[in-house]
Amino acid sequence: MERFINTILIGISGGSIYGLMALALVLVWRSTRVVNFAQAGQAILSTYIGYVVISHTNNYWLAFPVAVISGALIGALVDILLIRIMVKRAHQGPVAAIAPVIATLGLLGLIRAVVGLIWGGDLRQFKLPVTNHGFTFGHTTIPFAPINLLIVVITFLVMLIFALIFQRTNLGLALRASAYQPEIARLSGIRVDLTRTIGWAFAGSAGAIAGILVTPTNYLAPNSLDLLLVSGFVAAVIGGLESLVGAAVGGLILGIGLAFVLEYVSSSLAFPAAFMVLIAVLLVKPAGLIGSKRSRNA
Amino acid sequence: MLRKNGGRNQLRANLIFIAIGIVLFLVSNRVDELRVYQGATVAVYVVAISSIILLTGYSGQISLGHGALMAVGGYAAVLSRNDWHAPVWLSFVVAVLAAALFGAILGVAAGRLSGPYLAGTTLALAVGLPSLANQFSVLGGEQGLNYDVGQPPLSLGQDFTQYHWYFWIAGLAALVMTWLVHNVLGSRYGRNWRAARSNPTAAALAGIHIGRSKILAFTISAGIAGLAGALLAMTLSLVTPSAFPLALSFAIVTGAVLAGVTLLTGSIVGAVVLVAIPELTDALATHLGGSERVTANLPGLMMSALLIVSVLFFPNGPRLFRR
Amino acid sequence: MFGLRRTRRAVLASATLAAGALALTVLPAQAFNAHTEVGVSATQIKLGITIPLTGIAAPGYNKIPSAMNAYFNYVNDNGGVYGRKISLVVKDDAYLPTQAVNKTNELILKDKVFAVVGALGTANNIAVARSVNLGRRGIPSLFVNTGYSGFANTKAYPSTFALFPSYIMEAKIMGQYLKENFAGKKLGLIYQDDDFGSDALAGFKQAGVKFDVSVPYASGSQSAQTAQGWVGKLKSAGAEVVVMFGVTTASGAALATSAALGYKAQWILGSVGGDATTLKAVGVPPYVLTGAIGASFLPAPTDTSDEYISFFQGINAKYNGGVTFDNNVLVGMNTAMMTVEALRAAGSNPTRAKLISALETKGSSFASASLSPIGYAKGVHVGYTGYWFGQYNSAGELKPVGGAYSVYTTDSGTGAIVKSTYKRPALPTNGLPSN
Repeated sequence: MERFINTILIGISGGSIYGLMALALVLVWRSTRVVNFAQAGQAILSTYIGYVVISHTNNYWLAFPVAVISGALIGALVDILLIRIMVKRAHQGPVAAIAPVIATLGLLGLIRAVVGLIWGGDLRQFKLPVTNHGFTFGHTTIPFAPINLLIVVITFLVMLIFALIFQRTNLGLALRASAYQPEIARLSGIRVDLTRTIGWAFAGSAGAIAGILVTPTNYLAPNSLDLLLVSGFVAAVIGGLESLVGAAVGGLILGIGLAFVLEYVSSSLAFPAAFMVLIAVLLVKPAGLIGSKRSRNA
Repeated sequence: MLRKNGGRNQLRANLIFIAIGIVLFLVSNRVDELRVYQGATVAVYVVAISSIILLTGYSGQISLGHGALMAVGGYAAVLSRNDWHAPVWLSFVVAVLAAALFGAILGVAAGRLSGPYLAGTTLALAVGLPSLANQFSVLGGEQGLNYDVGQPPLSLGQDFTQYHWYFWIAGLAALVMTWLVHNVLGSRYGRNWRAARSNPTAAALAGIHIGRSKILAFTISAGIAGLAGALLAMTLSLVTPSAFPLALSFAIVTGAVLAGVTLLTGSIVGAVVLVAIPELTDALATHLGGSERVTANLPGLMMSALLIVSVLFFPNGPRLFRR
Repeated sequence: MFGLRRTRRAVLASATLAAGALALTVLPAQAFNAHTEVGVSATQIKLGITIPLTGIAAPGYNKIPSAMNAYFNYVNDNGGVYGRKISLVVKDDAYLPTQAVNKTNELILKDKVFAVVGALGTANNIAVARSVNLGRRGIPSLFVNTGYSGFANTKAYPSTFALFPSYIMEAKIMGQYLKENFAGKKLGLIYQDDDFGSDALAGFKQAGVKFDVSVPYASGSQSAQTAQGWVGKLKSAGAEVVVMFGVTTASGAALATSAALGYKAQWILGSVGGDATTLKAVGVPPYVLTGAIGASFLPAPTDTSDEYISFFQGINAKYNGGVTFDNNVLVGMNTAMMTVEALRAAGSNPTRAKLISALETKGSSFASASLSPIGYAKGVHVGYTGYWFGQYNSAGELKPVGGAYSVYTTDSGTGAIVKSTYKRPALPTNGLPSN
């Protein structure tokens, strides 16, 4: 029983990170209809910027906002410099429709190479903001530590803030309107381009939060978030790719599921298992467990 | 009239293939061993890129996971050779069939998906599949399995090295496969794919079963990727999960896009560029007195930059190669 | 959308690029050198190494090439080897066998090195030997940085020279230590699931040690997350003594995670994953390491009373930017010194064949920092054969159990474990071999 609860706790902590990455993918998907594979690159660059702050000030809580703001700026820049042009050309020729996806792939490679050039390929370690020494009850220490609690709490707050923005503000309304009916949104005076850029900035900051939260429990390298990208994608698909709540729930389902596979089956099965989950969801319930019933051929 | 013209084109294409074969054969005997080895790598990429050209350029589907399909082919070839003592050519055939079968299963799932879903699913495949080899001891773990295509026949002379042998086998396989793909693309299926890609509604009205057509394209593309995997395993003399990293999947997409994804001849240009970029950047890095850091990252930087530039400005391939 | 001219210019640019690439591909490689052997000129001997500089296994090992270069530069500044300066081409293989094969091909075809020296990793060296086929081509691979017992098999690897004692020897000697010191305790084992680990399993079996729980891990899979699984298994099996047979990042993950989970055990670290500096660098709290047992065949890098250590520390300060002098730096410099001795032994007109035969006939008398004898002989490519045990103090220094180094030697077969009486040759004058 103790092992069972521990596994769920580990899963919630891991799933929170997946949920944040899924959120970043969903935000971009809703605004641009592109799965942004560069998200892992944007997040790693933001995290390295956070790393620079930490190595100079030794202060995680200063690095955190710096990374989040960098993430937002990088996201906005990517949209303005690259995606805006691609979206406008999306209807020219047979391959142009999938060109934005390939462009984000190129961007992922580009950012990784730049990060490698600046910081090299060595693994780097973050100072922990709070201890990773598991909570102790009497004589038993559980695998759930203050650092894991921090991840869960911050993820919850971020989700809450995004939910408030989307449901309670004009900006949120504009974001939703441009996502579903760009033409009508444009006619009703919403600056669709600007709104999309804001969507990319939000996504960039969500990815950066995922990066800077997960790195202290792991290590930092130019490709250390690649697997997170895949988990985030799977979580987003579980959640239906359209819904913010879906991203969060998808992350938790995947996180807990993987924790059980790791704990009870085998530690090297994590990614094959994630893939199986993905295929299963796509075959059985292609609209996601939470998503709308719309076709996937959008 | 049209038919006759087509026949002449076909003849011309066949002659070109034979001519390329002869030129390659002559060149391979006159260049340095390093170039021969790189030539073998080019041949592997030619096959891999043509699988993407068929899938993306003709059928309009995108895959970021062809490295995983290459892994299926590579492991199938190695297992058939090591466990059943299959001759080399047969192990290649097994590679094609195994990868095609895998592709067909995936295609059934993929046929219901498009754009982002397919891209993400194949990406997950590329990340997840090779690590499966660590799970089953028959696949040899991270250390991999040996793949021995044997020594070159003695009749080719003492100076005929293993690398020449690889080049000949890979070159011949690439030529044959390109010829086959060329013919498939020119057939009814190729036309159906293009029709379904350009205007699915019209194609469906014209009686083309869009889903089935996509699955067929994915299956054939996977089979070709399987051959590329077997050839790659041959040039390395082994298969390991690390032979099929995510970077490989990205590289072949890059090669396909760089060369203009809608034309088969582009596969050669793409393959040469993929092999030449590390070479060029290496020279550049040495010239700049670069550190390991520069040498390690410059190829990726250049390749990604080229990829972005080409999708930004020539999403359908450079005019030069476009039909 | 964009003008025709721009298109044309871009097409021209891409065509030029493609043409340039083609031209480069068919250019003849550098003109063939008139000298007798590949990689040897009148002024230079070119050597190569593949080693992880990036990736999960890199921490620690990435210090080895610069340590080797530091010693080579010192020798070069003092006249080189028979007037030739040594140059070392370093290639990053990221601890991936495929990458090792590719990079070794580059070393041989493009850089045209005389020999490969200190190539790291069991799986990598096996892949390279099979694929690049160094043996059949007579290309020496000296002092491979792995203890896989198979490399001493001169039939399978005729041009490869093992240097480190084999993992079988290490496990046998460690097995005896376990039986003498921890009889009746519950034993656990973490090992890398490839030939590195299978060697260890063979050695423990030979020594008659049975583990109550053993946890294999796939090379490259080590992380804080996977380590939770390892520690969970050890914990639920109640292991009191845990042997760690993996690379440093794996033992780092195991130690750090067991600290986080409040799991306490007597740790015994194999020589591969026991470098204290690297362990600290990958986030192991020092208190976890204190009291752990470690095995080594070299003197402790912190033991300045050892003449080799103090000499190498001097080289480190002068030629290596004064990086932290740890086991990796020591291994790098020791390998470099033995390389210089091997090159000298091959004579003033070295060939690959001469190098191999010189090592076989003279290698066992080389001066080296190791406290273990060297086993090289005609047809025998076994290097060191012995280990000593130490305990980490709170400063992370490995102190010999019982105060003085007591080295035990054995073989990779059924041979007995004996206390060594080997007397190491003194450091050559100024650390410059004159053999």
